[in-house]
Amino acid sequence: MKYICRVVKQVLSIIQLNITLEWRRRQSFLAVLLYTLTTTYLAYLVFNGVISTESWNALFWIIVLFASIQAAFRSFQNEADRRFLLYFGMVKPQVLILGKIIYNFLYIFLIGLSGLLLFVFLLGNLVDDMGAFILLLLIASAGFSAILTFVSGISAKASDNPALPAILSIPLLYPQVLTLSRTSMRALTGFSWEVNGPYLLVLLMLALVSTLLSYLLFAYLWRD
Amino acid sequence: MKKHWWKALGVVLVIYTIIYGFIGEVPKYFILNETIRNLYFHVTMWFGMIILMTTSLVYSIGNLVNGSLTRDLKAKEFATTGFFLATLGLITGSIWARYTWGTYWTNDPKLNGTAVTMLIYLAYFVLRGSVDDPIKKGRLSAVYNIFAFVMMIVFIGILPRMTDSLHPGNGGNPGFGGYDLSSSMRIVFYPAIIGWTLIGVWITNIKIRYQKLIWKKNG
Repeated sequence: MKYICRVVKQVLSIIQLNITLEWRRRQSFLAVLLYTLTTTYLAYLVFNGVISTESWNALFWIIVLFASIQAAFRSFQNEADRRFLLYFGMVKPQVLILGKIIYNFLYIFLIGLSGLLLFVFLLGNLVDDMGAFILLLLIASAGFSAILTFVSGISAKASDNPALPAILSIPLLYPQVLTLSRTSMRALTGFSWEVNGPYLLVLLMLALVSTLLSYLLFAYLWRD
Repeated sequence: MKKHWWKALGVVLVIYTIIYGFIGEVPKYFILNETIRNLYFHVTMWFGMIILMTTSLVYSIGNLVNGSLTRDLKAKEFATTGFFLATLGLITGSIWARYTWGTYWTNDPKLNGTAVTMLIYLAYFVLRGSVDDPIKKGRLSAVYNIFAFVMMIVFIGILPRMTDSLHPGNGGNPGFGGYDLSSSMRIVFYPAIIGWTLIGVWITNIKIRYQKLIWKKNG
């Protein structure tokens, strides 16, 4: 019990530390927001005001996915070498990755919400069941965060190849994005909890499996 | 000879598959007709691929637990040969689909699963290519390999069960039993899996030995 308490405390302090650091570099969060804004505006320009529900749905997830990649990728890039030595002395790698995943989860959820706001504002509100859609966004953020945080850890350790995070993470995210876009399509047109229950469960399971894998494998990743 | 019998077995089984696969008895199904013979090539190659990828996974786990360059090399070469078999499976499937479904590629959960699997392993090779330090490369790619394998199983094992597939024997259940193999087909199908796998292992073996010779030469 005491051990769990300590781990929770450490995870919380990692999250807090990340939020503090993020606050100091506010412009990077704003940059990701701007990224979402510019791409959404691009969609608005290209579709010229007339957009089908299917395109709305597909575009939304693709833009949120790419914005999330931008967001999560930076989470390790900025602090590769030195701060990690510091972390190493203080916390276990498992604690570190959990903290980072939870932090990125909040970050991505925030980006997703802003994206939703922008979409509703620019491309029109096509969402039928907003509650279900936001719940989906929440689950999606958890799954995205688990995979993206871990992959950004890998690519931070690999090289400066800028395409690497996208190449490594997008194929791993296909199962989630596919299930997501199918389910959210129903949130757009009329959501039934009975029909979509299993899909939500699959999404939750995917997020859980990814988190578990990151938790187990991260120790090996950072052992230098 | 004692050490190499399995290579001969692999060759014999593949030749048997090719000959018997074309002249053997097959049940006559509507639409499928004679194209059902593709089962001996397309499906069995992918079974072989899964076996090779799993071997690669085992070596990757071994590499993490007990790091060694040889394990990393084996993990990589098994994945490469697995990828090769996947490509062959893709081509045979695609040609078959052209004549059965009327198109080379369609939006089917199993096809998507394959595409994802191949993209994941391509990413694995790209990752290997972008790290210079061999020990670090081994560890990073082993970690990715394990992550990727689990996601691949999710994609080709779980998701297709939630939607219909155009594949024969499907309709919500892509289980192997769904193929309803007749006994005349089983006697080719199972040997074919073993044959392709053995040939794959042989190819991998040669590549591993080749790389080891290069290492030896360079000290």
